[in-house]
Parts: sequence; structure tokens; C-alpha cells
Amino acid sequence: MRISLPRSGAVFTTLTLALVLPTACALAQQSPGAATKAEARPAEASPNDIDGATLFASVCGFCHQNGGRAEGRGPKLAGTTRSDDFILDRIRNGKPGSMPAFGGAFSEGQIVAILAYIRTLEDDGN
Amino acid sequence: MSSKGKYLTGCAALALAAMMISPASAVDPSRLLSADQNANDWLTNHGSYKSYHYSPADQINAGNVKNLEVAWTHFPERATRGIQSTPLAADGVLYYSGSYSRVYALDGATGKLIWTYAPALDEELVAKQTHSPYNRGLALANGNLYVGTVDGRLIALDMKTGKVVFDTRLVDSKKLTVGFTGAPLAVKDTVIIGSQGGEWPWRGPIFGVDGKTGQKKWEFFTVAGTDEAKATWGGESWRTGGGGGWMAGAYDPETNTVWWGTGNPAPLYDWAGADWQKSGPRPGTNLYTTSVIGLDPDTGKLKFYHQELPHDAWDFDSAVGEFLSIDRGGQKLMVHPNKGGFIFVYDRANAKLQNVWQLVKNVNFVKGIDPKTGDLIGRRDLALGKADSPLCPAIAGGISWNSGAYSPKTGLYYKIAQEWCMDITVVRTTPILEPMAQLNIGADFKLVAPPDGPARGHLDARDPVSGEKKWEINYKEPPLASILATGGNLLFVPDSEGVVHAYNAETGQELWSHSNGMGHNAGIISYMAGGKQYIAVPAGWGSLVSDEFAALWGEPFKSMAKNTGALFVYSLKQ
Repeated sequence: MRISLPRSGAVFTTLTLALVLPTACALAQQSPGAATKAEARPAEASPNDIDGATLFASVCGFCHQNGGRAEGRGPKLAGTTRSDDFILDRIRNGKPGSMPAFGGAFSEGQIVAILAYIRTLEDDGN
Repeated sequence: MSSKGKYLTGCAALALAAMMISPASAVDPSRLLSADQNANDWLTNHGSYKSYHYSPADQINAGNVKNLEVAWTHFPERATRGIQSTPLAADGVLYYSGSYSRVYALDGATGKLIWTYAPALDEELVAKQTHSPYNRGLALANGNLYVGTVDGRLIALDMKTGKVVFDTRLVDSKKLTVGFTGAPLAVKDTVIIGSQGGEWPWRGPIFGVDGKTGQKKWEFFTVAGTDEAKATWGGESWRTGGGGGWMAGAYDPETNTVWWGTGNPAPLYDWAGADWQKSGPRPGTNLYTTSVIGLDPDTGKLKFYHQELPHDAWDFDSAVGEFLSIDRGGQKLMVHPNKGGFIFVYDRANAKLQNVWQLVKNVNFVKGIDPKTGDLIGRRDLALGKADSPLCPAIAGGISWNSGAYSPKTGLYYKIAQEWCMDITVVRTTPILEPMAQLNIGADFKLVAPPDGPARGHLDARDPVSGEKKWEINYKEPPLASILATGGNLLFVPDSEGVVHAYNAETGQELWSHSNGMGHNAGIISYMAGGKQYIAVPAGWGSLVSDEFAALWGEPFKSMAKNTGALFVYSLKQ
């Protein structure tokens, strides 16, 4: 078992990644700050990169609770109406005093995988 | 007045003036040994080596505390995540640190600024850190103030001028992502500081540094720091084991031993379940994580240890820096709280367990802890996937890092407890080390109310050795600040909504309160300046535990600012 929810999350995440990645890379290139980071650390796809759920449970879940399904230290992410561009930018650059910047820590592939994982989350009203 | 009288009065005035402006070098290491008897100053993070968070001062007392009012305030710059430090005071000067390790020296009577120090930090690194940029305190000795930084340095400042005496890099924070947030501890000519650790995949060392030159004297790894300890980590798991010692410990001068509490192992949660001795991410007991350790301050050599939770699988570490030296019936004891909600009582000579008592009501990670052997009874080792019922306490602990207080006058130990649990799903993770280390949590979780009622906090007044309870005060939300007991039969509790309470230390009756308008997650102290007693407390909300409050309790925490703070200082009305 790789992740607990969604049950077919690993496959779903991979599929979603295939859909999201081109858009995300294009968006990244439109943003000067993000483009700089993307150039410095080009997107790489390795088996670990695409497991957004595991990455989330390793790092992001410390604040975005119940795997991003509930508000905790950080906001609830399930059902977010934020754009891909906004979420990618927030993961890369963080929010001073609230959220670390992961742009230099995660590859572009990993960042997109986290976005893809977030998009799999169903808003159950919690 | 006769000329002789005038002369004596003049001499007395000169002597008094000399006392009030005594040189910084007067705070030498030997002065720290008697800090617990000193009503004038607050010389260590915990008040003294005895960790009582107690001042003998009694000018402000149960009879007149109703006349307490704000004497002066100070506003620090860049108070990101509020203020989380405990001030120090020496010879009428108050020192405190804020976020980004900024340090302020202020006239204790008036608040007039003497100097400010703002180190240049690696801002790009700081932006990538989770447990940052707060600072939890200073140490004082050798005419210097010592402060750690989140980018891995220990800095010494001249007490008089704020000028840098040395600036020593101890941790490769660019690679390891963590540095120092806790206060240092000065012991003789050595300054001791523990690195962050816990869920960060490294080996969490504690350092001894020459207090005059800044040269590193020793380094003790809290993960696999000895061959014996290394054997308690399966495979290569010791390389990423976590640990750390992120709060200042205490010193026992009789045995020349530094007592320090260590952080939890990484990942926080373990999918091995009951098979943790042989499988999972870190098979074995994982020494010296979630332990109390006794170190020789001169060499860093381990003298003794007790692992409070062997193979901690719940993030209930021993990093709380509070070690109360209690003498009772001819026994010399050390009392130490563990995040899981239990209080451990040790023989001060060797860390041999004397008792364990439970402070927190909602505990189910174990059924109990044997008070004689320390064995965990009925430990609950979670397996991969969703747990069938909430884990108690929650990740924020039954006890947080803020310190309680002990009054030698009442013989009571005052300690905050936190009642909350969490739904948890354990997830298999692998450590992320490149290009820089990342958190290794190993679970999805959500805080929920405990079985016996709403999530809440309480302040207990208990016997520190037996745990016998004298009284209890309940709070809607747990107070997250360290508290203060005084010789005036008072107990001060700065709460999370922003109110400072003063209670009768014997009875728990509330005698005074004042709102500072923002939550507290720092430490409160007492000191004297110009012959007058002051109470000082930083306000300013934003610790990682306080971040949980908005989801649990809504307002005022949903909209409470987390990037501001102020130091409030109180005295009696003239």
C-alpha cells in the first residue's frame, strides 16, 4: 500500500500529473520568479517525484491536516478554488511567516505532483 | 543632618548607584549558581539552574497585586510568529530576544533602549524553514549574552554594548534546513546549545562552546551518540534519526552534570506497528531520542540517561527543558515533564527512576507507565493506515515546551496540561535529504476533542514528587506561555487569548488580570530595578502549537495577528 486515500491515489496521481504537468510548466514560465527557479532546477520525473501523496504525508501534512482535507495549522486544501498557477507559486515561494518556500527543496516534478495530489482531494465538508 | 550623616548617606548612595550600574562582567558563572536565591535578577532561561521559574521577590504580593499596572512597553521589529522567548534581567537591565534572533537591552525601570542587535541571517534559508524564525531565549555569563540563530550559529554579544564578541557556525543549516531556536545554557566557561531535530532527518547534536572564544569544545549526537546507542537503530536508520535538544536544559553543580531533554525520532509515526523492534523505518529503541541525558559540561561525555519512551512512535519527546531540582526527605531528585503528559522523577545522581505520575487526563498511547521501572504498559503501536480511534494526546502534546513553575514556599509545582486527541492515518514515507533535508512526518492527522469533553487546557497545582493534586484551574484553550511563581505568594499565568492572570499560589484564587490584546507563547519573569519589583512578559502569537487554535476554537484565534508582538512590563501603582 502506498497511500491510504484515495485508494487508487497513486495511479490517479500519475494520470493527473500527465494532465497537469504541461499546463503547470507553461504557467511557471509565465511567472518571472517561478521561471527563474524552474530554470535553476528543471523539472525531473523520477518514480519518487510522482508520489504526491507520500510527499504530502512526509512534509505538507504537518500543517495541512488530514492529508489536506481539513483546516489545521494551514488551510484546508480539498475543494480549493485557487488556480493551478496560484498553488504552484505558493508551493515554490511560500508565504513569509506562515509557509516555507519549497522551490529550492523540491523539483518541479515533485511540486507538480503535490498539486496533482491536492486536486484529487474530495471536499467532504470537514 | 550632621556632616557625618551626610557622608554616610553619600556613601550609601554611591554604593547603591554602584549596585544599580554594576559592570556586566559581574555576571560571572559563579553568580549563576545562586540565581535561585536572587530576587533582583533573572539570570537564566529557567530563572536558575533549578528550573523553578520562581523569584523570591515579594514586593508585589497577594495583598497588593490588585494595584499592578503597565509600567512600560517595548515593540520589537519583525515579530514574525510573535514573541516566544523568556527575557533575562541583570543589574536593572532587561534583555530579550525576538524573531530572527534580534536582541534588545532595555533599562529595566523605564524601558529606555540601551542597544539593539539584529544579526544578518540567511534570509533565503529562513524562507525555506518550517520551525522558524522564532527564538526562545538567551544565556548570560562572562559579561556576554548568547543567542542561537535559525541558520545554525551561536553568537556572543557584549552585555554593555551589544557588540559581537564571537559568531560561530555550528550547523550546516543550508543542507540540514534547521538550526537553533532554543536558549543556550551557560555553565562555568562553556555555553551549551541544542539543535533542532525531531522530525528532521539528521542526528540532532548538542554543542559545548567556549564562552569566551567561541571555539567548539564538544558535540554530542542525540541519535547514535555512542556505540551502545547506534546498536539500537536498525540498518542505516541512525543517519536520519531526528533527535535534537531544542530547549535549554539545566545544570546540577553538585555532580557537575548538565541535564538535557532530547527530541523524538524521525519519522514521527512508524508503520511497523507492534513489530517495531525488527521492521519499519527505524527498528529498535532509538537511543538517545525521547530521553533525558546527563552530560559532563566540560567534555560532553555522557554520564547517564533514561529513555522516557523507548521507540517513541507518537512524537511525545523529552525536549521540554524543565528539570526541577527538588530535595525531599534526604533524597536529591530531578523532576522532568514529558510531552506525552507524564512527569518523571529521577535520582539526581544517576537518572535512576523514582516515580512517574500522570498530569494529562486523556492519554491512550499507553495504558500507563510503571512508576518504578518506567516500562510502558500497554503501548499502542499504530500500524499502516487509519487508526480505529483517535490518538491521545494529539501531536501538540499533553505538555508543550513552555515551562511550569515551582514555589519553594508552597511546595507546589504548577503545570499546564493540554487535553486533545487526533484522528491519524499512518503513511509510509522515506527521508528527503536532497537538495536539503525536509520534514519526515509519516502520517496524515487532524486534531479532535478528547473523549471526556471539549479540547481544553488546565493548570494543576501538585506535589512535584508524588503528583498529589491540590487544585486545578480550567481554561477554554491551553495557555502556551511559561508561567511564574513568586515569593509574594503569587502565580502568574499569561494565557492564549491575551490575558495575564495572577493567582494566589496557595489557593488558586484569581487576584488580578490584565489583557495584552494578543496571545502569549513566551515566558514571564520577575526582576528588580532601582529597588522596585517588575513583572515582564512578551505578548505575540504564532507558535506552531498556537497555529492549531483557529481550527479548534475559531475566534479570537482565526483573526489574531501572528506577525506582531510587544514586551509588557508591570509594576505597582505609585
